[in-house]
Amino acid sequence: MTADRSVLQSNYPPGDLAIWIFILAELTVFAVFFAAYAFTRLQHVELFNEYQLTLDREAALINTLALITSSYFVVRAVSAIKVDDRRRCVHWLLAAISMGLLFLIVKTFEYVHHYSEGINLSSNTFYMFYLSLTFFHFMHVIMGMVILAAIAVMAARGKYSRQEHTGIESGASYWHMVDLVWLILFPLVYVMR
Amino acid sequence: MKRLSELLGIRPCTLIYLLLISFSLTTFLVAKMGFSGLGLSLMVLFLALIKGQLVGSYFMGLGRVRGIWRWPVFIWLFIPGILIGMAFYLSYP
Repeated sequence: MTADRSVLQSNYPPGDLAIWIFILAELTVFAVFFAAYAFTRLQHVELFNEYQLTLDREAALINTLALITSSYFVVRAVSAIKVDDRRRCVHWLLAAISMGLLFLIVKTFEYVHHYSEGINLSSNTFYMFYLSLTFFHFMHVIMGMVILAAIAVMAARGKYSRQEHTGIESGASYWHMVDLVWLILFPLVYVMR
Repeated sequence: MKRLSELLGIRPCTLIYLLLISFSLTTFLVAKMGFSGLGLSLMVLFLALIKGQLVGSYFMGLGRVRGIWRWPVFIWLFIPGILIGMAFYLSYP
């Protein structure tokens, strides 16, 4: 887990407080998006139900498993640095990045498929929400991977240790936020009808 | 959760990971088998909120933080969860 004994005695979450302000701002934006999707669907229930069936649920499941696995790998990376195992920390981070890459590849295939069928933001209200919500999240995955890559490089260079690993915890928290958003997005857009 | 993971001989984070995978597969199977309806939609939403809380408490480490910082993920899940649930409830005649 990212929490340890020091966190037990703290009033603050793991990582830098600034990243948590950023995370809360991001989560708020996604919450507004989710509520907008749900209440817009209320006006177009049949349209949303019809076009939801055109989405690739297998791809969405693979992406869900990829992000959950990636988050787990990040937890293991944080645990590794807490026992000064830098080598293992870097390996876990690289494994997490590879899962993020898998997510991007699968999602890109989905977008290419939709594009080849002539689907775009103006096709209908459902696709407008689906494409904008998932692409907004897609950009966050890229951002998260850049952060994970940066902390992997820093960890490999010995910048983190058992005593000082705030940077890794901050990056880990951001990545978990990316996972957290997808955990709601997946059932909302792909499953609930 | 710690006791259960000790009983199973796995790390607590591994137990959480396996729970998250199981809940995701359940959600997928609900969709794959073509089930629909208000009850199932709300069940899928509830599973998603539980998954989110597990990530917040155990992966993000908020479960061991005291004070207001323990609650942001819970609140984030609770408010959109209520709104989404309400919107789906209203969409059924």
